[in-house]
Amino acid sequence: MTTKANFPVTAGPVVVPYGHVIGNEKWRGSEIAQRLQGKIRLIFEDGLGLVDFHLSNRTCILYISEADLVAGNEFKRRLVRFRNASSLGGIVIVERTQISDQYFLPVQKLVVLELGMVLFPVANQGEASQLITQLVREQSKDENSNPFLRKQCSQLAEPSLLRTVQQIPGVGKTKALLLLQQFGSIHWLCNASVKELELVVGQTVAQQIYNFLCS
Amino acid sequence: QRSAPLRLLAAGRELCAAPGLISALRAAHGAEVRVCALRAGSYVVSSRTAVERSLRSELLSPRRRNKVAQRIQRLQRVFERIVVIVEKDRHRPGEAPCRAQRPQCYDAALSALARAGLRVLFSSGQEETAALLRDLAWAERREDAALAVPAAVEGRRQETLNFYLTIPDLGYPAALNMCHRFASVRAVANSSPSALAAGAQLSLQKAEQIHRYLRYTFDRQLLPESPDPKGRSTARS
Repeated sequence: MTTKANFPVTAGPVVVPYGHVIGNEKWRGSEIAQRLQGKIRLIFEDGLGLVDFHLSNRTCILYISEADLVAGNEFKRRLVRFRNASSLGGIVIVERTQISDQYFLPVQKLVVLELGMVLFPVANQGEASQLITQLVREQSKDENSNPFLRKQCSQLAEPSLLRTVQQIPGVGKTKALLLLQQFGSIHWLCNASVKELELVVGQTVAQQIYNFLCS
Repeated sequence: QRSAPLRLLAAGRELCAAPGLISALRAAHGAEVRVCALRAGSYVVSSRTAVERSLRSELLSPRRRNKVAQRIQRLQRVFERIVVIVEKDRHRPGEAPCRAQRPQCYDAALSALARAGLRVLFSSGQEETAALLRDLAWAERREDAALAVPAAVEGRRQETLNFYLTIPDLGYPAALNMCHRFASVRAVANSSPSALAAGAQLSLQKAEQIHRYLRYTFDRQLLPESPDPKGRSTARS
């Protein structure tokens, strides 16, 4: 059974030339293909199996049409087979129309929450072609230009430490500075005795700080 | 365990922005929603997952999209998993729903979200968003990552919570865990990274970062000298 299921996906990672998209033969002449013409270089290939378009060596698109959604559960089997057999990042494009709207939420739940794939709704093939164009463009861009990508930034801890110590009741900026200079770190401050604290701040505040940190 | 209500945290601003959503979560889905001062994100659905609810229109203008991006960047420093829910804007009654062509910049924004490895979900309104949040919280509970302690802290513990919340890149759920599961601030400061990770439901890497912060030796020289904006900085001390 598994061999049969694996068969169509074996085309798996295909080599996609830079700036190109490899489309499944069955899309030749479709509206998507026509609209992609002139925007990106589209090559058709046979034997892509479950995949509709390869955007790069790592990313591919599975297209679920309104008709697929209405027809029943076949598309779910296709998605699960893809997920089990392929290590490619799969982007699922779903036609969300007035007719297929009722099926959208369960499909989204399956694709995103259970299979961990990416899902984008479109209204028709025209919108899908526009989305594919943008997906291809995004891949050719420098990763650092992506505004949503996590940027590494290291900040000095000093201002944060000062803020943290100021959260102790009775401690303002001046006392926080004195405490940090005297004890060095929050760890040492937490392990200071009331007597040691009294050397820096008054008796009442020292007791207050001690109570806050140790009980 | 299965019958216990799902726990979620909601940012204070969501109370005004999406009152229908919060009441739907409570009434229709029986969830326990606590509105609190989250510093980033719209909702927290587990100890490791935060949700940014963004309106579709926010992804359309560059200026508003940058704001969303900034919020997401901030979330990424704090939480392991980020989910972006793109919600359709409400149109006012009487206003014709616009049937304009889908803007290219919307597709560009979606492409960038996907490339950044964020999970994106689509919703057609606040009620649908509520159902998505419930699904997310369920999925997290199944993976044993649900919020484990009550979101409410009483009395003086509130001050302790605020203390923990100033630790850089420490999320609200972890701060809550520290409040409930450690006897005192001193107990937290004296914990090993692995004890911190277990108690606060943090990754070991994040726990090590917190551990380093608590032991970091303060150097006054490294404090940026910020002239008081009101120009009375030194006069008072």
